[in-house]
Amino acid sequence: MRILILGLDGAGKTTILYRLQVGEVVTTIPTIGFNVETVTYKNLKFQVWDLGGQTSIRPYWRCYYSNTDAVIYVVDSCDRDRIGISKSELVAMLEEEELRKAILVVFANKQDMEQAMTSSEMANSLGLPALKDRKWQIFKTSATKGTGLDEAMEWLVETLKSRQ
Amino acid sequence: MYTLLSGLYKYMFQKDEYCILILGLDNAGKTTFLEQSKTRFNKNYKGMSLSKITTTVGLNIGTVDVGKARLMFWDLGGQEELQSLWDKYYAECHGVIYVIDSTDEERLAESKQAFEKVVTSEALCGVPVLVLANKQDVETCLSIPDIKTAFSDCTSKIGRRDCLTQACSALTGKGVREGIEWMVKCVVRNVHRPPRQRDIT
Repeated sequence: MRILILGLDGAGKTTILYRLQVGEVVTTIPTIGFNVETVTYKNLKFQVWDLGGQTSIRPYWRCYYSNTDAVIYVVDSCDRDRIGISKSELVAMLEEEELRKAILVVFANKQDMEQAMTSSEMANSLGLPALKDRKWQIFKTSATKGTGLDEAMEWLVETLKSRQ
Repeated sequence: MYTLLSGLYKYMFQKDEYCILILGLDNAGKTTFLEQSKTRFNKNYKGMSLSKITTTVGLNIGTVDVGKARLMFWDLGGQEELQSLWDKYYAECHGVIYVIDSTDEERLAESKQAFEKVVTSEALCGVPVLVLANKQDVETCLSIPDIKTAFSDCTSKIGRRDCLTQACSALTGKGVREGIEWMVKCVVRNVHRPPRQRDIT
């Protein structure tokens, strides 16, 4: 199983990856390039790619699209200023033929902060209701507190299993 | 000759596609109904184990072929805040399946309110509605007459459309096939919303 973790810079992708892999909060620096780890969850092995999110390196995301089963799209739930950019990156990504069959899981991250967006706010801001041919689901997460991640992985495992 | 053959090919392999929305409060059994339908109508589909289904915060999709019709299901999250997303799908849908939890008497009024909003929506005018009284496998559940009584003051608001209340258990599969076959009959004869046409790929 191949999973991509994508999203703007500072959304928390790397923190999520290592939360999933070692179960701890690690100190991260902005990713230039990628981190790749194997994560085992409920007997299902995932190869998880965390790609750097800065503007200059987003064009390289597409090099990693082939054979992807699911995309975890991480969004900073407090960053209302850049939610528009997050949306346009997501829309552009989902137009790619190679991702036609991939499941979309949105992590509305940083839910530990006040003023975090709700699920419906997030769905609307990202334009998710326009996606009519793709399964998608939002999870409210906090990578630093560790909330919501288990639930999300559990869901992902069951969903991917039923597609095999 | 080409026209004749391609016409024949189309006749045999083209499906009329209809979009069906599955709505209802959270925990009514919408996703379970979808999974059960997929398992019943698609021979090779293994499906999710029904006990593992959790709350939907998003969209589940699925297709089911019945004769020349292909139903494309949109199963949406039912939590209160997510109900604001429902109407984004109204314009393109051909039918609505509204799922009620027959064991949850406490939330029946809430469900009725949500149902009223659905049937009075302008964008759904004339669209067939199938009301599923779900969880009929539970002994203490409300019966169809009970539910009809609770929803009786909606009757006038349903308007000119096909509407059926069907007893169902998404878990055991009882009533699922009947419901879907009824829906197919209705969307096919509803001339106001013609199907999307697609060749089989």
